[in-house]
Amino acid sequence: MPIKWVLHWQPNAGHTVNSQILAEVSQCVESINGVKEGKWKATLSFYRPVMKEQANPAEFPRDFLGISLPEQPNKYYFVLRGQRLVVEADSTIQTIMEKLQSYKTRVALNFEGFQYQLGDFQLRVGKVVSIQSESLRGIVMEMEYKPISSWEKSHKIMGEFFDIWQEALSKRPLPGHFVHMEPNFGEFGLSGQYTLQHTAVQYATIMLQMIATAQSVRN
Amino acid sequence: MQHHHHSQPPLQSAGDLIASPPESQATSTDAPPKQVALAMDRLANAARLIADIRLGADRLLEALFIAGEQPHQSGSNKPLNLIVQEGASMRQYLQDLRTIGRQLQDSGVLNESLRSRSNSWGLHMPLVCPDGAVVAYAWKRQLAGQAGASAVDRTRLALKAFTDQKRRFFPHLDDKSVDGPVSKKQRGTHTSTANQQEEFSDLKTVSDVLTELEKEIAEVKTSTYQRLDWLKRASLLPNDTFDESPKDHNNFQSSRNIISESRGAVIAAQIGVIELLIPSVFRAVISLHPTGSLHPDAVAFFSPDEGGSYVHARGVSTFNVFRNITEHAAMAPQHFICVNAETALYKLLLWICSYQTLFTKVCSKCGKLLSMDKESALLLPPVQRPYRNFSVSKNLSQNSSTKDQSMNDIPAYHIGCFPQE
Repeated sequence: MPIKWVLHWQPNAGHTVNSQILAEVSQCVESINGVKEGKWKATLSFYRPVMKEQANPAEFPRDFLGISLPEQPNKYYFVLRGQRLVVEADSTIQTIMEKLQSYKTRVALNFEGFQYQLGDFQLRVGKVVSIQSESLRGIVMEMEYKPISSWEKSHKIMGEFFDIWQEALSKRPLPGHFVHMEPNFGEFGLSGQYTLQHTAVQYATIMLQMIATAQSVRN
Repeated sequence: MQHHHHSQPPLQSAGDLIASPPESQATSTDAPPKQVALAMDRLANAARLIADIRLGADRLLEALFIAGEQPHQSGSNKPLNLIVQEGASMRQYLQDLRTIGRQLQDSGVLNESLRSRSNSWGLHMPLVCPDGAVVAYAWKRQLAGQAGASAVDRTRLALKAFTDQKRRFFPHLDDKSVDGPVSKKQRGTHTSTANQQEEFSDLKTVSDVLTELEKEIAEVKTSTYQRLDWLKRASLLPNDTFDESPKDHNNFQSSRNIISESRGAVIAAQIGVIELLIPSVFRAVISLHPTGSLHPDAVAFFSPDEGGSYVHARGVSTFNVFRNITEHAAMAPQHFICVNAETALYKLLLWICSYQTLFTKVCSKCGKLLSMDKESALLLPPVQRPYRNFSVSKNLSQNSSTKDQSMNDIPAYHIGCFPQE
């Protein structure tokens, strides 16, 4: 499937993310001939183990995430970041998890927004909203190049597209910038051919960063 | 000729070869078979007259020659009489020929006015085909056409044989005068081109060409299909036939050889489609016409992840980048055939493989990989690689560093950066 880079918004020190930034970003996409196509939505859940008595919390994995992605609505992806594990499961697994009561959702996030076509590229701009509080927690973007699915072969062209995007965005006075972090897919046992597992891992990777950012703002 | 008599009625000309007026007047009411027979007769007569004219000209020249050699001989009226005689009969032959020509024209044989007209018998007037063959019935035109085609082939072979002999026995003679227009295109390439093309002309079958190609380009995976088989395969794409690991490549390679060996020569004659895959970069589909030959006639580029019945040599990719390459490559097969039909397929496939750096090689003009094309408002990598003056020398397989160099030397351009000539 097509290569995708997931980017997240890194606000400058002392600033937060707000809907004004989101609007500017969307306008910028349209200024480079992006054609708005429709909406997209993904969800992410942070799980925490349900502790029985006398259980040692340290034994249980901490970074346990579950992600549902719009490309495959009937699949659900689990990522154990610490252990470098990613698994694709049927979406009915969520029912099983509720029945098992072994892990519960600590935080649930929605990623939603619009998607745009730029020739062979597809861009998605999305706000990160906490389901519980409905507050804007961040901004993510997905950059997709549809013709090829090899991570290695596409790296240069994605890099140039990222630079073009950064350049277009830098013309607007915004307090922050987009960051691309490249996880080590090999550690997760993933091949060079892009899959939704790769997307799940990218989301899991940026979550850590976003949480750290949010915490530093709070402090 | 000094005389131009237009209105001499057939009756006045001597000779028993011309049809009498009553018959010619009744021509239009004759049944078609009779018309056809008449026309065939007239054509035969015309041929005979032409032969007579040729002979007469010979005799005239001979008479003039003799007269010139012995100007003062007594009783040397003989050559003069000969000349006068021959002159008279020549004039007669030419006259008769003109008459027959007019008759043939009137009956619609030479001027094709009746070609499309079909009468109740379903017969057409005899036709004189472009290569000179005369056919009585329209359905024989097809055969005559084929005869014409084979005549062209025979001529081409004869020319090639003559050129080869000339090169072999008279190397000191200038080659340019023989090769004509082809040499203009070769101007600028060094003199080893002629030898190089002889080397490439060793590649006589599609299998030879593909084996040689795989030696030159390590990453390419090739396969051949009959036309219908390709359609089946296209609908099943993309699949995991081509695994990235070298082990599987070897297995596939050997299985292809086994298949081709076991089925023998039958397969070679039925190959209509060649598939070139550079894994993770592109898939190119080339069609051969006629089937079983080494003549490429169309090529199209696709994403390696694309599949469906539209994936064929005249199909169009759903992605802009491959659509643009296909457009740019539209005239490439014809170009390579024009330069040298024998090596056209190999050169075309080599040129196609130069696109293996499609997503990594920056534009040779602006130095960037992505550029916004003004016309289409699309961000595209350099999709245009020149195929005119494309020449790659045959590299020995042990010389791997130069091999890489020669393929990388081919420039790449964005649409707007392509040098205008």
